[in-house]
Amino acid sequence: MSLDAYIPESRQTEKPRDSYKWIGKSMKRVEDPRLLVGRGNFADDVNLPDMAHSAILRSPHAHARILRIDKSKAEALPGVLCVMTGEEAAEVTGPLPSWANPPVHQYCIAQERVRHVGEAVAAVAAENRYIAEDACDLIEVEYEPLPAVVDLEEALSSTGDAVLHPYRGDTNVALARTFTFGPVEEDFAKADRVIERRFRWPRSGGTPMETHGAVASFDPGTGKFTIHANTSMYNYCGWMIADSLGVPAHKLNIIPTLAGGSFGAKLFSHKPCVLAATLARATGRPVKFMEDRIDNTTGCDAHGSDRVYYAKLAIKDDGTLLSLRTHIIDDYGAYFQFGVGQHGNALSQCVGPYQINSVEVELEAVLTNKCQQGAYRGFGSEVANFVIERLVDGAAAELGMDVVDIRRKNFITPDQFPYLIPTGNMYDSGNYAAVLDETLKLSEYDSWRAKQAEMRKQGRYIGIGVATCQERSVFSTTEFWMWNLEPGGEWTSSPDAVSLKIDPTGKAFVTLHSPFWGNSPETVVVQVLAEQMTLDPADIEVTYSDSDQGFNSTGPGGSRFTVMVTGAVVGAAHKLKKKLLRIAGHLMEADTADLEFRDGAVSLKGAPDKRLTIAELANTAHYFRLDLPEDLDLTSGLDTSYVYDHPVTTLPAKDNSHMGIFYPIMGHMCHIPVIEIDIETGKISFLNYACVHDCGTMVNPMTLKGHVRGGVVNGIGSALMEHYHYDENGQLQNALFTDYLLPSVLESPDDIKIGHVVTPSPFTEYGIKGGGEGGRMGAPPALAAAVEDALRPLGITIDELPLSPSRLRGLIREAQAGQP
Amino acid sequence: MGAAEKKVNAMDSVKINVTVNGRSHEREVEPRRLLSDFIREDLRLTGTHLGCEHGVCGSCTILMNGQSTRSCLTFAVMADGAEISTIEGLGSIDDMHPLQAAFWEKHGLQCGFCTPGMLMTALELLRENPSANREDIREALSGNLCRCTGYQTIVDAVELAAETMRGA
Amino acid sequence: MKPAPFDYVRAENVEEALSALAANAEAQILAGGQSLIAMMNLRLAKPGCLIDINRLSDLDYIRAEGDELAIGALTRHTAAATSPVVAEFCPLMTAAYDFIAHRAVRNRGTVGGNLCHADPSSENPAVAIASGATFVLNSIDGERRVAAEDFFLGLYETAAKQNELLTEIRIPKAPAGQGWSFQETSTRKGDFALVGIAATLDCSNDACKDARVVAIGVDERAVRLNSAEAPITGAAIDDTSLTAAAEAARDSVDPPSDFHADSDFRRDLVFSLTKRALSEAHGRCGKEG
Repeated sequence: MSLDAYIPESRQTEKPRDSYKWIGKSMKRVEDPRLLVGRGNFADDVNLPDMAHSAILRSPHAHARILRIDKSKAEALPGVLCVMTGEEAAEVTGPLPSWANPPVHQYCIAQERVRHVGEAVAAVAAENRYIAEDACDLIEVEYEPLPAVVDLEEALSSTGDAVLHPYRGDTNVALARTFTFGPVEEDFAKADRVIERRFRWPRSGGTPMETHGAVASFDPGTGKFTIHANTSMYNYCGWMIADSLGVPAHKLNIIPTLAGGSFGAKLFSHKPCVLAATLARATGRPVKFMEDRIDNTTGCDAHGSDRVYYAKLAIKDDGTLLSLRTHIIDDYGAYFQFGVGQHGNALSQCVGPYQINSVEVELEAVLTNKCQQGAYRGFGSEVANFVIERLVDGAAAELGMDVVDIRRKNFITPDQFPYLIPTGNMYDSGNYAAVLDETLKLSEYDSWRAKQAEMRKQGRYIGIGVATCQERSVFSTTEFWMWNLEPGGEWTSSPDAVSLKIDPTGKAFVTLHSPFWGNSPETVVVQVLAEQMTLDPADIEVTYSDSDQGFNSTGPGGSRFTVMVTGAVVGAAHKLKKKLLRIAGHLMEADTADLEFRDGAVSLKGAPDKRLTIAELANTAHYFRLDLPEDLDLTSGLDTSYVYDHPVTTLPAKDNSHMGIFYPIMGHMCHIPVIEIDIETGKISFLNYACVHDCGTMVNPMTLKGHVRGGVVNGIGSALMEHYHYDENGQLQNALFTDYLLPSVLESPDDIKIGHVVTPSPFTEYGIKGGGEGGRMGAPPALAAAVEDALRPLGITIDELPLSPSRLRGLIREAQAGQP
Repeated sequence: MGAAEKKVNAMDSVKINVTVNGRSHEREVEPRRLLSDFIREDLRLTGTHLGCEHGVCGSCTILMNGQSTRSCLTFAVMADGAEISTIEGLGSIDDMHPLQAAFWEKHGLQCGFCTPGMLMTALELLRENPSANREDIREALSGNLCRCTGYQTIVDAVELAAETMRGA
Repeated sequence: MKPAPFDYVRAENVEEALSALAANAEAQILAGGQSLIAMMNLRLAKPGCLIDINRLSDLDYIRAEGDELAIGALTRHTAAATSPVVAEFCPLMTAAYDFIAHRAVRNRGTVGGNLCHADPSSENPAVAIASGATFVLNSIDGERRVAAEDFFLGLYETAAKQNELLTEIRIPKAPAGQGWSFQETSTRKGDFALVGIAATLDCSNDACKDARVVAIGVDERAVRLNSAEAPITGAAIDDTSLTAAAEAARDSVDPPSDFHADSDFRRDLVFSLTKRALSEAHGRCGKEG
């Protein structure tokens, strides 16, 4: 198929410009004042009259049959309203949402068996959380322990009692499938050599400061549930929660609260909603379920990728990269809510920024007795970045080639865009050499290489890492099902919507149908709308709809929101602007072609003093129908909405020879950290950190930098200290923040230099690309490279994270023992 | 009264008097009621947040008698007679404290969940050390976790606030 | 994560605290609560009765008493960490405070409470042993004193009886010219130590007269590494003797393994940190008095 036939036409209506009034400004955030004075409305701040509180009894076993539950003592405790077992919950509540096909059944309270430590075995609703927890202590459960499945490679051969979901067959393999894109066999035959490595990417998780939670109430007068929750996607698939609750979709209204961070974890946090609602129905009172930290670390349903890669990179001796083979085993934990969406995601950029001709991906997704995976910043692509960058560094090492040169040699070049990678995804635009050059400059690379040489003479271990990685944005729903063997739920819509109105006084109201996560949706909307309509940002109000009022909106995630909400605002603004121009033209007796928006008014081009302000026009539009044109399609008022679809996405081929275009708004970045290692203690200190991100046109450089920096620190966590560690019995060793180590300010570089290159997207409004995840997607490979570079005198290669002091010291000790 | 007579049964309440942001509150609380829950639920001041309830994340930080304190590691009865400062007493949207204004200016927050804890900790620092430098600021904030910002802009904000407060 | 119910006594003076302790077999002392309340929130600790001693301001003091430093058990860490008297009498403690928790925890946590909690990775027990501290314990039966080296028995276990209240810590003033050092490795600053070494060194004519090396993170309690002290006591301080001391330290411990640090790593740290501690202590020798 020709490129023209394969790639849909661009629907971009607003081309990138050289200068804007509001877009591109590092405007102070609209969201901040209320947060700064402690008036953000988070889930735990919701307080309804007569509200009860709930707690769950967490399973102490990784895998066990539930034989008997005696809740009599718990029920007798004063202040307890209800004690519910999984069996009782299942009488009125169905399985939780799952995109896997065939689905893996999960319930808000485990029935018959528990499948991970921390899974709810019972739930209590009581007058307050203290009593609820007292009651949990009084519930007696008899378990029959089953074999705990912990090692992901061993899990591939589980049978019998070790199988978590026997109704799916006598196996813990949830999905096994191989895709071959392009002439892999041929390309490997052509290779001069093959770089072969085993990589281990550890399980971590978004772990935002705010846990997941919901406050639910049930109105027996209407049979309707209302749930306040910090989940996203309530306007995309909130009906799935209604489904779980056994009510028709219009008998559920979900009201978003602010979310105290998500990083993907709250993408679709269905379990707290279903649990709280089930208890609300049972008790006849509003019920709050707020995860405490242990509920969260053990049962958040949002752990990150947990993978082994057997990877092979076929190369020529001149450094040309030919082909990539990966055999991946991914430990999904006990359930499978998103299927292997994380691997659909990885296919979007698994060849990195390089002209690699073919790819083979063999995937085995396995279920084990751990908290299930969800989404974590990168959603699986951060691992693909790590793998390809480590392989490229491996190639450089074997060939004696410079790490910068080998990358530059293999980059996709600017004239090759739009570029299709072997998996079928499109990279819309880019200039990778420009990003690399900018980063080399920003990081003072040559100067640091010289310093490194000097410091090495002093016996110091200094490392410089270079990672050049893709940061895709705007996911398409196809990534969630493209790997499925059986058809089912093959959605292709992933829009975002806004509602827009201007009131009789000229104030603009934008309603978002997606939540706030700490991204800056209100600020983005204000900047874009101000740009579109020349309004003053102070005259724009942004609110959030609930699911009753909401339009189809996918929400933040996959670095999509800025692109998507901009598209929606542009679409809505265009409609209102058209109407305003018509009204103005009529009132001013001018041709609409002679009119423009300027300084909050519609004025005559070339004669700006001949104007009607938006406020004046709005007043007329609302109250003076008989002054407007007679056309029947022109109604009173100024209100509209716009559902903005994914700007460019196509279906996978029926034979899966390619996956279509599903994640094409392709940002790119280069990270160059400089570190020093104390080889006696394994401690790493940062000497410098520079990165350059190309996220196309930037709406607010300050907030984008904020995401990059935050993402880099997430990446430092993943690379150096974060690992949800399950022992051989499936016990989570570090459910507490004393032991699951998040970087504090002292573990984060004090000056992360961030630069930008702008290659706009030809497909999005203004050419914006997403950049919310990139920091975390680039830091780990960059740090692994820096550590390897630092330990080069000892000949250590880095194939596994996190690089804790203990692991590093172990590698160093081994290497020193091996030396004469 | 001997100690035996003084013992309060677990299920009974203790009368406490706590001054919060300048206002006096007299309440009855169970001995085990945490100060964090007392502030959030009994006094309906929900700006102080719960991130971990085991004293690591710092989201629950308030000032007790001027000293930064993890309210999740304090029983309300221990605050009897104390002066508590929470985020709600720091400033208003029309009259922000220099710290709040600086956080706004420097993009020192994204989701806002850790922010009240950060602000109260920074307040203690700047009151004690008006010329705090970046190293001092980083050390002072080392007990407050943030997952969103990467910390740099928080330090920038405290630095700016210190400057503002010195100039004022 | 909410604590289980407990009976509560608010002591207004030491006598009330002591009689409450005696009257309630299941009673525990509530001081700063920074360790205890965390464990209670996790329901790892469920004391039936807490005796709140936070009003006992009589126990909150730092005093120079001749040749001894007297620290009241209720002294908050912040006060101890910034005290010039502590810095003068026990600079090892001041140095250790660099590694102890974070400000908010130090504001409420007490020196006495921390010592009685006896976490194996806690810094002050090592400081107490290295500086030859004595603990004053009071009960309705009277007063007794226990040397620091006899006080820490095991994981969260001390020689204090249930009905005893630690009221004071007495530390002999560091001899003039004594060097000191506290070295610690943890993944993040302020975390519990993976391994920590407290060291003091008394030198004369560049030879070591007396050395004390105490380790944390290698056992269920702080342990004095006598065998590390032997190679340098009476010897000249140079790279050879420091290395010998560090090797002896490493060989004398049998540290546990966990996912934060395996035993080989802890052994390595004992070696490196002992050497660094003794070296730094040596560098400080003779600078005082």
